[in-house]
Amino acid sequence: MLSSLPDAFAILFTVEGIATLILGTTLGIVLGAMPGIGSTVAVAIVLPFTLSMSQAPAILLLLAVYAGSVYGGSISAILINTPGTPQSAATCLDGYPMAQRGEAGLALGWATQASIVGGLVSAVVLIIAAPQLAAFALQFGPIETFALILLGMTCIVSVSTGSVVKGLLSGMIGIFLSLVGGDPIIGEFRFTFDNWQLYSGFNLLAVVIGVFALSEVFMRASAKITSVSELVSFRGIVFPKLAEWRGRRRNLAKSVLIGNVIGVLPGTGAATAAFISYAEGRRSSPHREDYGKGEPDGIVSSEAANNAVTGGALVPTMALGIPGDAITAVMLATLTLHGITPGPKLVEDNPVLIGAIFAGFFIINLLLLPLGTLLSRVAAPLLRVREAYMMTAIVLLCALGIYFVRGNPFDLLVMGLAGVGGFILRRQGFPMAPLVIGMVLGPTLELTLRQGLILTDGNFFAFFESPIALVLTIVAIAALSLPLVRAALRRKPA
Amino acid sequence: MSRFVNERVFVLLILLLVAAALYASTFTQSFSDVGNAHSPVFFPRIILVLWIGLSLIALIQTLISAPANTPIVGLLRLAILIAAAVAYTMFLNQYGFFLTSAAFAVVCLVVFGVRNPIIIVVYAVVVPGALVALFNHILKMPLPTSPFTFYF
Repeated sequence: MLSSLPDAFAILFTVEGIATLILGTTLGIVLGAMPGIGSTVAVAIVLPFTLSMSQAPAILLLLAVYAGSVYGGSISAILINTPGTPQSAATCLDGYPMAQRGEAGLALGWATQASIVGGLVSAVVLIIAAPQLAAFALQFGPIETFALILLGMTCIVSVSTGSVVKGLLSGMIGIFLSLVGGDPIIGEFRFTFDNWQLYSGFNLLAVVIGVFALSEVFMRASAKITSVSELVSFRGIVFPKLAEWRGRRRNLAKSVLIGNVIGVLPGTGAATAAFISYAEGRRSSPHREDYGKGEPDGIVSSEAANNAVTGGALVPTMALGIPGDAITAVMLATLTLHGITPGPKLVEDNPVLIGAIFAGFFIINLLLLPLGTLLSRVAAPLLRVREAYMMTAIVLLCALGIYFVRGNPFDLLVMGLAGVGGFILRRQGFPMAPLVIGMVLGPTLELTLRQGLILTDGNFFAFFESPIALVLTIVAIAALSLPLVRAALRRKPA
Repeated sequence: MSRFVNERVFVLLILLLVAAALYASTFTQSFSDVGNAHSPVFFPRIILVLWIGLSLIALIQTLISAPANTPIVGLLRLAILIAAAVAYTMFLNQYGFFLTSAAFAVVCLVVFGVRNPIIIVVYAVVVPGALVALFNHILKMPLPTSPFTFYF
């Protein structure tokens, strides 16, 4: 991959490449700062604009929006005590008390520096780990790939928020939706009920945007309309001096490590990383008694970890084609739209593109410093925009995005119905990430299982003869059992 | 709402019945006479059996623990918005992006509590209009137009 770096830089350092990075990071920061939009919806909103772009700028735009939105969430968390993204929820705990003391600028300064360090380290992890993992995964046949996808599925479901059963059920619905249409082995149509519009199956992005963005609008409409939050006094970012970092670097390093490790695990996500890192920071920090009262270490723990997840989550997405969370699932779908198949052969087949993506991701994290400084002042007044204007714009942009994917009116209807279905399921406590990930992984899961069975004359036990598949299956079973055992232990009376 | 008749039970029952109906349909659909892993319904049947089993477990869990569901504050508001959103996605291609988006924007803004008619009209015209101008004229990615005029 190193030999292709000059060509990768040639893609990156063009007017289009640089403009894409700046525009994407700007959009990401602003959209991430808006409460209720979140990283997934931000990526979904930007999606239609990528369809007129070539491969590298399109993917870089999405990556910039992703990384920018994770950082942007800290702006609203600190200024109005409402996390722009779930990942920034832990930032509220110390960011808002600091802002109430009149130190909003300094709180954002800590958040910005911690986010940049977290993001940059995760970019390095992505650059080093993804090609290694992909090279290892090249040895995989259908049996090993099936075990790997199974592991991805179980990890995702076992860490679902709320009920494990509902997480699993959500995953099954997602897999089933991906099976409608042509059979991948003999090509016959299934579950189409003579409706020609179903022959090509449900469009993944229509379902994703429906269950995340549209259902969010319905959720908002079903709740009490809230008044606009009050802003604290804010006159721009104030960066902490280098000396102020003394005694906090260890916490920063630990938070970055937690974020990277959790990011690589499929399904855990940045919100989990931020809270685990916050809890660990509170346990080990010399300032632990000040946590929750406006302690900068609290902001550092949360922001360094949630930004460190971004690169980590891209490792299984790029190297194995297994999305780390719902956002990377949307990105995976977009890669497919641009003619790129993520997986072990991606790095081998597209070294220039991958080089540009990895180097671009590093630059995006560097851009957070100037753009974060500039945009936090611009984004602050936007936090007072009425929910009505934001929600209406989200629906229009989602419809527009889906129309441009295939120009198929049926996809628009699928988005509408997925929105209604997603709203009903979310109200009953069903997590939506397993549904989307099930839909992404379902076709490969089916294809590899059936190919494996055909190759072994229907002998399912052959799946356990491959050492790699055996290890992956054992880990998958352990990942699935862990939350069930934990729940059983919790129920056991003391 | 009683412990056995409530929103959660109703939704899980629907999920269970849908899965059962889909599973039954795999026996009525006609496919080439190929067995086991070659069959197009081999994998869907596994998934549907798991779906049915998980729905049953979730249903039993709900009946035992009966957790309360948060009530919907604005039921009428929500019903209007859902109807408008579904109608919007159905008619967008037929009546064009601008007209359907403007109509949807009016409904959505009112549902979310905007009452100033000038703001509603300006938003409903300017936002979809700006998107049409951006995509049709700058990005050259044409959006669907209405049967009445070529411009929007």
